[in-house]
Amino acid sequence: MDQVNQEQCSVIQTEHLTRNFGAIAAVNDLDLEVNKGEVFGFLGPNGAGKTTTVRMLSGLIAPTSGRATIVGLEIGRDNRAIRERVGVLTETPGLYKRLSVVDNLLFFAKLYAVRYPERQTEQYLRLFELWDRRDDLAGTLSKGMRQKLAIARALIHEPQVLFLDEPTVGLDPEAALMVRKLIETLRTKERTIFLCTHNLDEADRLCDRVALFKGRLLAVGEPRELKERLYGRRTVIHLAEVYAGLEDAIKLPFIKKVERMDNTLVISLSDPEKENPLLVNRLVELGAEIQFVNELRVSLEDLYLDLMEENDATD
Amino acid sequence: MQRIKVIVFKEWRESLRNKMILLGAIFLPLIMVGAALVMVYQGRAIKVPGAQVVLFNTALMYFLIMPAIIPLAIAAYSIIGEKEQASMEPLLATPISDRELFLGKALASVIPAIGLTWASFGLFLGVCIPLVGGIPPHVLNAPWIAAIFGISPLLSLFSVGVTLLVSSRATDARAAYQFSSFGILPALIPLIIYTSKKTLVNLWLVGVEGVLLIVASVIVLYFAIKVFSREQILTRWK
Repeated sequence: MDQVNQEQCSVIQTEHLTRNFGAIAAVNDLDLEVNKGEVFGFLGPNGAGKTTTVRMLSGLIAPTSGRATIVGLEIGRDNRAIRERVGVLTETPGLYKRLSVVDNLLFFAKLYAVRYPERQTEQYLRLFELWDRRDDLAGTLSKGMRQKLAIARALIHEPQVLFLDEPTVGLDPEAALMVRKLIETLRTKERTIFLCTHNLDEADRLCDRVALFKGRLLAVGEPRELKERLYGRRTVIHLAEVYAGLEDAIKLPFIKKVERMDNTLVISLSDPEKENPLLVNRLVELGAEIQFVNELRVSLEDLYLDLMEENDATD
Repeated sequence: MQRIKVIVFKEWRESLRNKMILLGAIFLPLIMVGAALVMVYQGRAIKVPGAQVVLFNTALMYFLIMPAIIPLAIAAYSIIGEKEQASMEPLLATPISDRELFLGKALASVIPAIGLTWASFGLFLGVCIPLVGGIPPHVLNAPWIAAIFGISPLLSLFSVGVTLLVSSRATDARAAYQFSSFGILPALIPLIIYTSKKTLVNLWLVGVEGVLLIVASVIVLYFAIKVFSREQILTRWK
């Protein structure tokens, strides 16, 4: 993709974005690019600066230094225009408990100057299956329903970019699944979603790309690509018995590393699709009896924990 | 302007569902009207002219306390309620400006306070003559009328400014209410002069009170608007 197209596709861009609170750097030198229609996971532990980043990117607070553009608009200079174009789901739903479901949504539709607020409100309440509860006070809704209403609120003005801050935190598995399905639905509608989470399984399943963040950017890329970049690809071979000295006897040029744990070999390869058959042949030649051959799958959680540990050690 | 209106109506809708605010808004004016009627009744029974004027002035003073007291609960809840419900951030994420938000919150408290004060004064006038014989026109003179219609909006504005300032630092509506009540006392002190006067309230007194209130309101509102920025709300407010 040439640079012009790349820039057109890029919905969020940050350059050296930094925010300090006194002597503490909540966000330090963040360089990021999020493309149109992408579900981008922003992963980090509590207190990593995820919410501060969202607040800066949605034009709520100013950066200490650096710059960022959202849909081509510059934070700090075009904050109001940015807020018209982004939707924010905060960590807690933050609904008006004494107002009805419909009044909660209508209030925001009017603040966003939606052209037909009543019609839009009805459309979203129906979409999120809340229409039958429209006259109930928001305080009487279940946690899952509150979260649905909060997401509907973030979408009521059809934003180009949606910031979701921990959308499934505190929800029961059923409600969390419902929210994840909603995000999947939004993905199909070409909305750019910036998903802050520390639910790594959720990020692995939903996100096109993820950034691992703890005050500063630790890694960014597709989950699979990140795992491969950090760990390479590994094949696990279970043998029928322990063959002494087998790992030294294999001697194939493409093998990067061999580890043995009892009767299991873990072999690092660059191209397992091509190299596995050769490896298996070689092992059979050496007289090994193979029971299973699998690819060693590293979870995003492993990657996350290792990177966080590495970061803490560096600090 | 449209967004200010939206905020005002939202605040009112929430207030109508809040028993503390609703009961306060209904009963406080009624109690004060009742107390004012008792004062007038007692005043008419006293034959000493100076003491009579003091009682009449005290009765009328209730209609200057009312606009300062009524908005306290509405304004305190409008901020503390947002904090308790964690609803401030989604609200700040909308295109509303800091000033529109502040004005919306302030007007939502000031308008009912003024409306209720004037309505209560109307009620008082309506029942005063048939029930207790009324206040002689030389006591309820033009300066008093000017005070009730001119000073009461300023008192409301000052009171709301103080409450919004206090509420930005408080986490509990009752605490905000109590601290704000202390905060508005300086504005009420000049009113004591009205009640202690054995003579009639004059335009000079009303004018001085008006000027003092304008200055005090400008100072309070300046600081209230300053703390009412997104940056402050999200990073400094408790």
